[in-house]
Amino acid sequence: MKNIKGALVPFSALKYLGKKPHTVRYPFEKKKTAERYRGFHFNEIEVCIGCGTCSTICQNEAIDMIKIEGVEPGRGDSGLRPRIDNGRCCWCGLCVDMCPTGSLSLTDQYLHTSPDPDSYLLIPGVDNPEMKENISFTKSDTEPLLQFDRVPMRELDGAERVKSFAEVVLGYMQEEARAEATRCVDCGLCVTACPDHMHIPEYIGAIAEADDAKALKYIYDNNPLPEMCGKVCTRQCETVCAIGHLGEPIAIRWLKRYATEQFPDPAAILNPKIAEPNGKKVGIVGGGPAGLSAGYYLALRGFDVNIYEALPRMGGMTFAGIPKYRFPLDSLDKQIDYMKKVGVKMHNNVRVGKDITFDKIRNDNDAVFIGIGFHVPYTLGLTGEDLENSIQAIDFLRRVNIGETVDVGKKVVVIGGGNVAIDAARVSRRLGAEVTILYRRRVEDMPADWEEIEGAEDEGVHIVPQGIPLEIIGENGKVKSIKYGMAEMVPDDKGGRPRPKLIEGDEHILEVDTVIGAIGQEADYSFLPKEIMDELKIERGRVVVNELKQTSIPDIFAGGDNVNRTMDAISAIADGVRAVEGISHYLLDE
Amino acid sequence: MSDTLQKEEQIKASINAAFRSAKVSIQRKGRIIVEFRGGILPAFASYLKEYLNFKHLSMISGVDWPEDNQFELVYHLWSYEQSIHVMVKVRLDREAAKTKTLTPLWEHAETYEREIHEMLGVEFEGHPNMRDFILEDWDDLPPMRRDFMTREYVDEVYEWRKGREDAQDVRQTIAEQYNTEVPNFNNEDK
Ligand SMILES: Cc1cc2nc3c(=O)[nH]c(=O)nc-3n(C[C@H](O)[C@H](O)[C@H](O)COP(=O)(O)OP(=O)(O)OC[C@H]3O[C@@H](n4cnc5c(N)ncnc54)[C@H](O)[C@@H]3O)c2cc1C
Ligand code: SF4
Ligand code: SF4
Repeated sequence: MKNIKGALVPFSALKYLGKKPHTVRYPFEKKKTAERYRGFHFNEIEVCIGCGTCSTICQNEAIDMIKIEGVEPGRGDSGLRPRIDNGRCCWCGLCVDMCPTGSLSLTDQYLHTSPDPDSYLLIPGVDNPEMKENISFTKSDTEPLLQFDRVPMRELDGAERVKSFAEVVLGYMQEEARAEATRCVDCGLCVTACPDHMHIPEYIGAIAEADDAKALKYIYDNNPLPEMCGKVCTRQCETVCAIGHLGEPIAIRWLKRYATEQFPDPAAILNPKIAEPNGKKVGIVGGGPAGLSAGYYLALRGFDVNIYEALPRMGGMTFAGIPKYRFPLDSLDKQIDYMKKVGVKMHNNVRVGKDITFDKIRNDNDAVFIGIGFHVPYTLGLTGEDLENSIQAIDFLRRVNIGETVDVGKKVVVIGGGNVAIDAARVSRRLGAEVTILYRRRVEDMPADWEEIEGAEDEGVHIVPQGIPLEIIGENGKVKSIKYGMAEMVPDDKGGRPRPKLIEGDEHILEVDTVIGAIGQEADYSFLPKEIMDELKIERGRVVVNELKQTSIPDIFAGGDNVNRTMDAISAIADGVRAVEGISHYLLDE
Repeated sequence: MSDTLQKEEQIKASINAAFRSAKVSIQRKGRIIVEFRGGILPAFASYLKEYLNFKHLSMISGVDWPEDNQFELVYHLWSYEQSIHVMVKVRLDREAAKTKTLTPLWEHAETYEREIHEMLGVEFEGHPNMRDFILEDWDDLPPMRRDFMTREYVDEVYEWRKGREDAQDVRQTIAEQYNTEVPNFNNEDK
């Protein structure tokens, strides 16, 4: 048993045969990198929105945002894409962790040597599509650097709400607003979706920096009714928010509301510079958001502005349509008062075509702006529609908003699925009625805001989807009940959205005191004299205008619901703002 | 759970008995955090090493808390026998950041302390060899301080590679797409 080990040596060496060698092999074999290795960038070009957050965060200034062939800008996409200078990158991975869409990643590929300095610039995803297979470092799910959750908004509780017309949304407190504003990555993509292209990142940045006065200045730069928008805007901006891709979008609307509510008198902060009178006069028909916005900025530029409004107050549908629990009167008054201070002259209770002729306004002014909105409701076309207590939502809302007492009885049915229908339903609840909404399609097809639908349901409004009204049944000239049929959804032959089709025999009768129709409106152009109507280009009920809101008659401009298809306050405001450019250009050659 | 954290609880009790000002918390199994006053750190570290068997100093890290006007040093100690990691955290005044070296207890603390001195500007009294660490002839703010403006520095010091001139500003690009101008209310008198 002496030197037996030596005899076994050849055998013990055998055991290494099956093992992988540690030495470098030829031809070269690359070893697997660590699991979250950080090598070259890869970018999913279709997912990337060009927000530039990667470029903003990179402490080495290694990322440029550049224009790339084939990538077009659009709603929610700047059209730019990142390019990395790999001579600068330190592969910290911050850009990946901060990318709001998760499109950017780092791969396990890292080898590059070249005497050509230009070769260190890499457009991830464009120059290296093959590296999609090599993605290794992606955004951390467990410790996100972005804040994905919105600061919740406090609201009155459903049961409390139906007792009065008190405002439902309570607004952010200072701390809440600051916290919400800091979630913003300052990219500006929201601006692409705002019809008025407001300076959103700037005012959110100012709120985050605790400078609410500065925020107000950015806001008023192109929106003179921001407190209204802060409460009721359709907020297209939030639908494209970068943070909204993986989290909850920034509460842009509530932040604007917060900023405007900090100051009881905007004039004190804005200190508006009003230009010397320029000798030109502009008459405005209709005191809705479109007419008011045009009026405000025209007055700031030294125009002599008169607004003629048929109703007892300015505000248009935001006064006569939108219920007070969403947009209280004192808030409207505050904004109108400020406009008066700037010199806009307002004439309530003047219906053009009746109390004053359009020709007179046109003769007395150098230019005219038409912002009359859509105030004539479409009728349902049902038997029994002319019965007493068969009414129209916008007439109903206007009467309530003007302060008339309206008796809707104990049971109300509202027909329609848009915001106007929901408003009529929620107002009827507040008048003490039990309310049913009858809508032709499914709940998910309702054009109304989902928050509005939820709000209505919280307040006890009952929604009957796929219900088609067939007949309003009366007794002694008054509404007694409504007959409706249930529908099934069938695919549309022309490839549109599914259509409701009545199910034979599935008919129901609902006892009601009032039927409220809410299926849409159109404009009333009867105030325009025939010669104007002949010359003015109107298509499918809307006045045709150019980029600067000028109509086919050079001194007549138009905007708002009677021009645009988006039919909301901010689009009307945007039209008003653009018309100011148009009118200045036309009258002052500016 | 309590039986599984037995060792941790024992260590916590011992520390509390010996150093009343130490704030001990058990973060999870195998991990204890001790917040401690800076002044008598060597005595406390020596106690952990000699009496509680935390023989190994894994590393020292530093954190800048300008909002508290403090630096935080975190000493990571490890006990092989008990498989427990202790983080000793001390806070130092940011204006006069100074503490005693731990080189007498662990020779290799020298390197960590040199690094923190260079990156944050903390002084380690009694350190035997406070030379430059990885930066050469640095006379700017220590670069890991949060008020050190990395991007400004980078802008100034490093060249811009050719071919980057086509870079665009995202906000400006968007404003131009819609023919709008972003006003500047930043430097207005309030
Ligand atoms: C019930 C309801 C709820 C709505 N909710 C929202 C909402 O939450 N968010 C949102 O963004 N938008 C909402 N809208 C839409 C929004 O109110 C309108 O898009 C916006 O008011 C349009 O502004 P405008 O200036 O074009 O017209 P309008 O606001 O309709 O203003 C036109 C004005 O012109 C006046 N007028 C008309 N003819 C004459 C005449 N011959 N002489 C003098 N004056 C005349 C009218 O009385 C009216 O005041 C709602 C609309 C309704 C009906
Ligand atoms: S990995 Fe870091 S250094 Fe490199 S580009 Fe991204 S943020 Fe800049
Ligand atoms: S952060 Fe992401 S989404 Fe934004 S530009 Fe960079 S890669 Fe694209």
